[in-house]
Amino acid sequence: MIAENLIVDRGVSAGDDWITVAAESAHEALSSLKDEGYRLLVFLTCVDHLADSSREWPRRYELVYQLRNMDTLEQLRVRAFVDGDPPHVESVSDVFPPANWDERETYDMFGIVFENHPDLTRILMPDDWVGHPLRRDYPVGGEVVEFSEEHETWQTAPDKA
Amino acid sequence: MGLEALVESMGQNILTTTLGKLIGWGRGNSVWPAQFGLACCAIEMIHTATASVDIARFGSEAMRASPRQSDMMIVSGRVSQKMAPILRTIYDQMPEPKWVISMGACASTGGVFNNYALLQGVDKIVPVDVYIPGCPPRPEDLLNALMILQERIKAQGITPRQ
Amino acid sequence: MTDTDTTVIGQGVTVTKTGETGAFGGELLTVNFGPHHPSTHGVLRLIVDLDGEQVKRIKPVIGYLHTGIEKQAEALRWQQAVVVTDRHDYLSPPINNLAYALAVERLMGVDVPPRAKVLRVIMSELTRLSSHLVWMGTSGIELGAMTMLMYCFRERDTILDMNEEISGYRMHTSYIRPGGVMADATPRFLDMLDKFIGAMPGHVDEYEDLLTMNPIWRSRTMGIGRLPAEDAKVLGATGPMLRGSGVAWDLRKQMPYSGYEGYEFEVATSDLCDCYGRYLVRIKEMRESVKILRQALDRLPDGPVNVDDRKMLPPPREELETSMEAVIHHFKLFTEGYSVPPGDVYQAVESGRGENGCYVVSDGTHKPRRVKFRAASFVNLQPLERMAMNHMVADMVAIIGTADTVLGDVDR
Repeated sequence: MIAENLIVDRGVSAGDDWITVAAESAHEALSSLKDEGYRLLVFLTCVDHLADSSREWPRRYELVYQLRNMDTLEQLRVRAFVDGDPPHVESVSDVFPPANWDERETYDMFGIVFENHPDLTRILMPDDWVGHPLRRDYPVGGEVVEFSEEHETWQTAPDKA
Repeated sequence: MGLEALVESMGQNILTTTLGKLIGWGRGNSVWPAQFGLACCAIEMIHTATASVDIARFGSEAMRASPRQSDMMIVSGRVSQKMAPILRTIYDQMPEPKWVISMGACASTGGVFNNYALLQGVDKIVPVDVYIPGCPPRPEDLLNALMILQERIKAQGITPRQ
Repeated sequence: MTDTDTTVIGQGVTVTKTGETGAFGGELLTVNFGPHHPSTHGVLRLIVDLDGEQVKRIKPVIGYLHTGIEKQAEALRWQQAVVVTDRHDYLSPPINNLAYALAVERLMGVDVPPRAKVLRVIMSELTRLSSHLVWMGTSGIELGAMTMLMYCFRERDTILDMNEEISGYRMHTSYIRPGGVMADATPRFLDMLDKFIGAMPGHVDEYEDLLTMNPIWRSRTMGIGRLPAEDAKVLGATGPMLRGSGVAWDLRKQMPYSGYEGYEFEVATSDLCDCYGRYLVRIKEMRESVKILRQALDRLPDGPVNVDDRKMLPPPREELETSMEAVIHHFKLFTEGYSVPPGDVYQAVESGRGENGCYVVSDGTHKPRRVKFRAASFVNLQPLERMAMNHMVADMVAIIGTADTVLGDVDR
C-alpha cells in the first residue's frame, strides 16, 4: 500500500479517483503505486492555475500523473503541486519509461525542470525558442484580429486568464 | 514554291504556333508536384492522386520525392515554426520555373489556428500562385487550382513570372 | 577513434557520436531522415546512425507539426473547442471528438440519448475503418504495393461520402459534440451505410488476397520490428502495437463507453509481435468494425439525438419565433457559451492507433482551463528505436509504417 503519510488529499472528480502528494515525495509515491499494480502511466501533464478562482490552489503548477492498473482496470490520478522559477521535481522516467517524452513536453510547454531526466530538451518547439507556451501568462499569439471581442486578451498576456 | 507550297502539299498535318505557346503547353500539361504533405490536407492530396479523382489526367501524377525534379510545390497542411525553414529550403532547392499552390486554410492563412505555433500563411516565406480555401479542401478543389495554374502557365509562355 | 565528438545537424539538433565503430572497423554514418521524406507518414525526422545498412541508433526529432492545439482550445469556448479536437489525429476526427465530448459530458453530468450513442458508435467504427484503410494504403505503397493505395482509397472515398452526407464535411466533421451529435442521420445515409456494410467484407477479402500470402509482403514484414509483449506494456504502447504482441487490451472491451458493452465483437490479437502480426490485427479489426456497424444499424433506436438541456444546446429555430426563453438561451449560448462546473476528468477512447484520451480541466468559466490530449501516436513512437535496432534501412520504412503514427497526434 502506498504509505498513508504520503497522501495529502484525496477525492473523486466526475468519477475519477485522485490523490494529492507532496511534490518532493512524488517519485516515491509513484514507485510504490507501481509496485502496488498501477504499472501503466497513461499520461503526465501539468495544469497552470494562474488566476484560477474556482478554489484555493496550494501552488501555481499542478503536475498530474494518470496511472492505470491493467489487471484490475482501476485508474488513479496523482497530483503534485509545484512552484518556483523554474519549478523542480524529480523525474519518474526511471520508473515509467513512457514518461520520458511526456516530461520533455511538460518542460517545453511549462518550464518544469525534471531532475535526473536523461535528456531534458525541448521536444515540440524549436530548440532556441524563448518562453514556455502553455503557461497562462504566455499570450496565444498569432495574428491580431481587429474588432474581435477577444482582441485584447488574445494578443496580450492576460493577468486574469 | 517554297514553304507555302510545302504547306499546301502537307495539308492539315502542320500546325503553326508561337514558341511561347508551345512551351507553355508543354510546361502546363506536365506540372510535377513535389510531395510536401504536412497534415490533413495531405490526405486529400493523396485522394487526388487516386483513382476516383485522378490527378494523372492533368499530367501531375509524378509526385516527385526530390524537389530538384519537380516544378510545383503543393503546401498541404499547417506550417509550424520548426518546419518553416525547411519549407524555404525545399523551395530554394527547386529549379526555376517553379510555382506554389497553397492548399488549405492553414497553409493560406493559418486556418483555425491563430496562435504562436503556426506560420500564419505560407506566403510569408514563399511566393504563392494559387490559394485553395477549405479545411481540408475537396480533392476536386485541388484539381481546380491545378487547372487555374495551368491556364496561368500557358499564358506565361517563354518567360515565366519574374 | 573512440573519443566522442558532437555534431550539429541543422535546426539546432546536436548528436553526440558514440565513438562506436562498425562491423569492419569503420565509423558509423549519421544520416538524417526527413522531415521532408515520402515515407515517414508525415513530418517525422529521424537521425540514424548506420553501420553500413544496419541501423545502430535512432533519435527521433518531432515538433515539426506542432500546432498549439492545446493552447488554442484554452482560447476557445467549450462548444468551439470541438473544432480543434478534429485536427490532432487527423485520420480519425470523430473519435477525437468523442473523447472530448464524453469528457465534457461527464463534467456536466449529462447523458446523451440512446440514438446519439448508437450514431456515435457508427461514426467511430466508420472512422476506424477509414483510418486503417489509410494505413494499409500508405504502408502498401511504401513497400511497393501500389495497388493497395488505389483500392483502399476507393473504399475510403465511400466512407468520406457518408461523412459528407451526415455532417457536410468529408474529413473534419466535428460531428460528435458535447451534448449529442451535430445532426440526425438522413435516410440516404442509412441507405449508404447498409450498402457499404454489404460490400466491405468482400473488399477486405480482396486486400487479403493481395497481401496476406504474398511472398514479397511476408518477407518484408515478417520478423521485422519485433516488439515483445513485455516491452510493449512497459513502454506504454496501446492499440494494434500492443495487440500485435498478443496482449488482448482494447478499451472498447475493458473500459467501454458510449454503449460499446452491448455489442458483440472480438478483440483482434496476434502472437507474432512483428509487422506482419500487426497487419493481421488491423485486418481483423476492420472485419470486426463491419460487424459492429451491422449491429449498430440494426438496433438504431428512434428518438432525439441531443440532450434536452437548453443551457447546453441551442433551441430549435422554430422556437425562437415564439418563446422568449428560447431567445435568451440562444443568445447566451452563442455569445458567452455554457460554463462547465469546476473539476477535471480523463476520458479515453480506442482509436485506430490506440488509446486516444482527453484530459479536461475546468475552472468553472466558459472556456477550458486545460485540455490535454493523450496521443496514442506520441507514446507509440517511443518503442521505435527498440523495434528498429539492427534492421536494415529499408526495414525502417516498414517499421515506421507499422507504428501507424500520425504526426498531428504526436505533435499536437
